[in-house]
Amino acid sequence: MGLLRYTLWRLAQSIPVLIGIITITFFLANQIPGDPVEIMLGPTPAQEQVEAIQARYGLDRPAHERFLTYLSGVASGDLGHSIYYDRPVLEMILLRLPVTLYLTVSAFLFAIVTAIPLGVISAKRRNKPADHVSRIVSLIGVSTPSFWIGLMLIIIFAFYLGWFPARGLPLPWADPADIRGAETQLQVIRTSLHHLAMPMVALGTLQMAQITRIERSSMVESLQGEYVKLARAYGVSESKIVRKHAFQVAQLPVITIIGLGLSTALGGAVLTETVFEIQGMGRLIITAINNQDYELIMGTTFMFGVAFVVGVIVTDVAYAYIDPRVAYGDE
Amino acid sequence: MATEPDPQTDTTADGSESGAGEVEARVGLRYTLKQVKRDTTALMGIYTVGFVTLIAVLAAIDYYIFDYAVAEMFWYSPVQDPDEVQRLLPPVGMENQFGAGVIEHPMGTDHRGRDIFVRLFYGTRIAITVGFMATGIGLVGGTLIGAVSGYYGGWIDDVLQRITETIYAIPFLVLVIAFMTAFGRDLTFAMIGVGITSIPVFNRLIRSRVVSIREEDYIEAARAAGVKDRNIILRHIIPNSFAPVLVQATLQIGVSILIVAGLSFLGFGAQPPTPSWGQMLSASRNYMLPAPTFSLWPGMAILVTVIGFNILGDGLQDALDPRINN
Repeated sequence: MGLLRYTLWRLAQSIPVLIGIITITFFLANQIPGDPVEIMLGPTPAQEQVEAIQARYGLDRPAHERFLTYLSGVASGDLGHSIYYDRPVLEMILLRLPVTLYLTVSAFLFAIVTAIPLGVISAKRRNKPADHVSRIVSLIGVSTPSFWIGLMLIIIFAFYLGWFPARGLPLPWADPADIRGAETQLQVIRTSLHHLAMPMVALGTLQMAQITRIERSSMVESLQGEYVKLARAYGVSESKIVRKHAFQVAQLPVITIIGLGLSTALGGAVLTETVFEIQGMGRLIITAINNQDYELIMGTTFMFGVAFVVGVIVTDVAYAYIDPRVAYGDE
Repeated sequence: MATEPDPQTDTTADGSESGAGEVEARVGLRYTLKQVKRDTTALMGIYTVGFVTLIAVLAAIDYYIFDYAVAEMFWYSPVQDPDEVQRLLPPVGMENQFGAGVIEHPMGTDHRGRDIFVRLFYGTRIAITVGFMATGIGLVGGTLIGAVSGYYGGWIDDVLQRITETIYAIPFLVLVIAFMTAFGRDLTFAMIGVGITSIPVFNRLIRSRVVSIREEDYIEAARAAGVKDRNIILRHIIPNSFAPVLVQATLQIGVSILIVAGLSFLGFGAQPPTPSWGQMLSASRNYMLPAPTFSLWPGMAILVTVIGFNILGDGLQDALDPRINN
């Protein structure tokens, strides 16, 4: 029960933050130079056209009134209308968001799966060759621009070796009719994973490096704990100590760093999507900006914020699950 | 984690009130430098950062004072398109359909026939300026907000923390892009934008230090003696947080360079023809097949620079954290 109550409490806490995000986005969108009416209708529109557009988008009303309208719209799930695509903003987001989530979640899975063994081995063999290799790998990982990794992967694995496709990312649950060369759902999944490999590595490398660093230092600390000494004194085998005693405790800082890494990863998705020409949220916000599509800019920025807030809540709940003191604590 | 109190860890940077001579010497710039000199990795960091910064300073002098005249005298102009040079020359030692690379262009030429090495050299100026300026903005902003917030507590703390939390809640690349769309696409706004997004990092660090220092006896004593709040914050609390802030700032410079390179790659930041690494990578995207090395160099430059700041930051952390030394 404690965990459920904690989750609800964290969700309630995020409401002011979400309102804050909407405020910032609205303020920034309001500052964008240029007249949206002119962009839509060209430099010399007819007067009645201008008035019709202004009334439709509420541009004839003062800013605070528009803000309240927008806020209540968001609360009821209406993010406005995209001028560029001539479709509701929410519809565009629902079309693109799964692609970005698919990419980001896969990147994190790749990072976790590679980083945890690397960090544990590094901590177990502290200051030995394996540790040095792992530390150099993670140092390079945190220092390399993700989009450059993407470019290098494309040059090597797409252009020279021809192993992976250089662009696009079909979703694994897409309709086989829409995917070239795929007839069954299984083939769609295969095509999708084939496309996913390179962007996943490009986006996940930074996370992998950061998680490795934390996993290593956390495991080093955990292996020096009193209970580990006790277990050793009782003659528990070293591998069992690592698996049963040191590992779980050491994961708490790792979960925290995963939560913090979400911001970098979602931002990095904009770059990765550009490099691999993936039609996700990142490309959507760039298209919105290049076409001065105000409501789409606000909607996508807000949605990036929501994705981050939800991600942080998920990691917080995972933290509370491993360390119940958080959920049952000070309240 | 440890159940027993460890006398060494309790006196990391605020050793001045404990009175023990050995601990007292653990603060300040001189001690830091002494520790860093002992650490090979940190020294490598210092040399790399020093080398890159020196190049940036030379490039800046040539840009601001001589308008690239020095570059033209010894090499080529980093901004003007030459007439006779072939485009997309490969670097020395490589051959492809564009012919052998010539020694005059050790790294080859770009899509407009400009020398890549010269453009990399002058691109250093942008990377280093951006790294230091953006981190400086974040450092000053975050330190002030964190110190005020932690020192006063109460509603001031609540309001300031909710604001920084909200800034933090928008993925920072997205926030900077939205910020630059609103105010301007050039480098100044890139620096301010990245600076603003790093405010929460320093805010969190300083605030937690302040909250723990606030209750110390010497702060009580200063307050009782009638020292103004502003002076307590500026003279006692902020200097006492020197060590962790220095480490964080060094690492943050690397992060800022990476973010601004990403922004330039997307077309936000230094505008052509000003040479910048991110923009060179962006241009190289269209020539990945005929001239793959064009994409290689700017990335390597970013990598080496950021590694320099990261190992310097790690080295400083090892030098300043007595727990690791003992």
